[in-house]
Amino acid sequence: MIQVEALEKVYPGRKGQAGVKAVDNISFGVHEGELLGFLGPNGAGKTTTVKMLCGLIRPSSGRIFINGIDLLQRRISALADVSAVLEGNRNIYWRLTAQENLEFFAAVRGLNPARLRNEIGYYLKLFNLTEKRDVEARKLSRGMQQKLAIAVALISQSKVVLLDEPTLGLDVQASYEIRQLLKQIVKEQGRTVILTTHDMNVVQDACQRVIIVNEGRIVANDSVHNLLDLFKVKVYRITVQGGLTAEQRQALLAMEEVIIEEESPIQTAISVRLEESQILYRVIGVLESNHSPIESIDQDQNNFERVFLQILEGGSQGA
Amino acid sequence: MLRKGLLLQAFFKKELILFRRYLHNSVGGMITLYVIFLLLVGGFQGVRALVGVGADTLEGLVVGYVLWIFMLSTYQDVWYTVRTEAQEGTLEQLYMSAHGFGWVMGAKVVAGFFTNLIMVAVLLAAALLTTGVSVNLDFWSLLPLVIGTLLGSAGIGFAVGGITLVLKRIDSYTQMVQFLLIALVGAPAGRIIWMRLLPCSYGSALINRVMVGGQNLSQIGFGHVAAMILIGVGHLLAGYGIYKFCEQRAMIQGTLGHY
Repeated sequence: MIQVEALEKVYPGRKGQAGVKAVDNISFGVHEGELLGFLGPNGAGKTTTVKMLCGLIRPSSGRIFINGIDLLQRRISALADVSAVLEGNRNIYWRLTAQENLEFFAAVRGLNPARLRNEIGYYLKLFNLTEKRDVEARKLSRGMQQKLAIAVALISQSKVVLLDEPTLGLDVQASYEIRQLLKQIVKEQGRTVILTTHDMNVVQDACQRVIIVNEGRIVANDSVHNLLDLFKVKVYRITVQGGLTAEQRQALLAMEEVIIEEESPIQTAISVRLEESQILYRVIGVLESNHSPIESIDQDQNNFERVFLQILEGGSQGA
Repeated sequence: MLRKGLLLQAFFKKELILFRRYLHNSVGGMITLYVIFLLLVGGFQGVRALVGVGADTLEGLVVGYVLWIFMLSTYQDVWYTVRTEAQEGTLEQLYMSAHGFGWVMGAKVVAGFFTNLIMVAVLLAAALLTTGVSVNLDFWSLLPLVIGTLLGSAGIGFAVGGITLVLKRIDSYTQMVQFLLIALVGAPAGRIIWMRLLPCSYGSALINRVMVGGQNLSQIGFGHVAAMILIGVGHLLAGYGIYKFCEQRAMIQGTLGHY
């Protein structure tokens, strides 16, 4: 559905200053019906890449094909299959109602709003906005505005939907609802969704594959499942009553696999990466040396946030 | 073409919805324009009493003021739209239109033309009633002249809109354009031929010949009308060209939707 070849973007520098390379020779493809997470730290080149896919930023070099159409050669034809939410809840008119926004943007995307009554009703219902259809967008909650912005992107019936930080600033409930909706859209409508996010819950829960970029380059491109497997390390969390002695603290910190996550006179939490089984005995030995009462030993679930951080720290060679 | 009609219809509907939804603001804007007009007339009559200017120039003032408001509204429909859409975050959505941004802005300008026409008609009626002067309102003669004149102000709007995309935050400079438009309305393009090449000035002179001089299109001469429209189209294309150049710069800099 999307093919990106050797894409590069260098922002011109100001008055004699060198340009800034935001995207550095990246290539990737996205299949029809795929929900792809495009991740990276701030300034990694995510938004620049997404905006190049929308034809809003001109690449310095490289090519982008959408449904086989060269975006740089035939911009309007290629974009007929793309819609996007780039500015979150700012992508809609705040002084128009939910329904008016959907109708207006349908016409802007070349559709007849009068023939889309069923679709408009469907999306209002899908996004739980039916009761708010006649409410001005500025009076909706942020989560509802965000959902409306996504509904506006979907009403165009484009095959590709690009979402830049769709859950940014939302509470847990709204964020959960949006990722359920995204999964539903991909599953039921076969749309291709690319999203950038810092919310690893969204990635782990909704994305089938992720591309991780850092300093403009792709550092990982694999399925969420594979990356979780690849970086599978058992982590144990040991909770101890009371604080640690100076000797205990020194001994624990000398072990690379150990992190003292929390320490107070009441309770201390230590996480241990179990790369070899001996390490756990050594940690327990240090705690026993001062008869520190162990309250619990729990195994941490491997999560995508940890995988993501490990990849950025340079553990991606295998990915 | 049907799809372009739907686009135009969507902009009409949006204009109408916002006009009605914010009626107080819309009416307040018109009252402000009317009060400014009254102040101008008051000042003008004071000067006239001092220097003994002829009564017919009050008609010129009415026509000039109303035409200036029309030109200013058209200019703002383009420039202000680009600025506001960038500020509010919707410009990038319009850029992803299946019609292309040029058509989107075209639809916006045409929809704006009709809403501005209503506003200008009300303002003109109020101005005529207040001053007691009468002007020739030959609709079919005025229509092509007004459209030709507004092409120039739309061209200026595109040029300023384009510069805004690249430079951002230039509101203090763009305010100067409204004074430039006053100068263009008042430029003596009827007498000084080179001034006909200025945006809007040729049209302004011909509109004065209809509304103040009582002439119609055939008396003005179709050559003049055609030349004025061609110059207007030239200004529109030049302004749009500047806009497209700036748009490409903004796309290279990655600042298209920023403000």
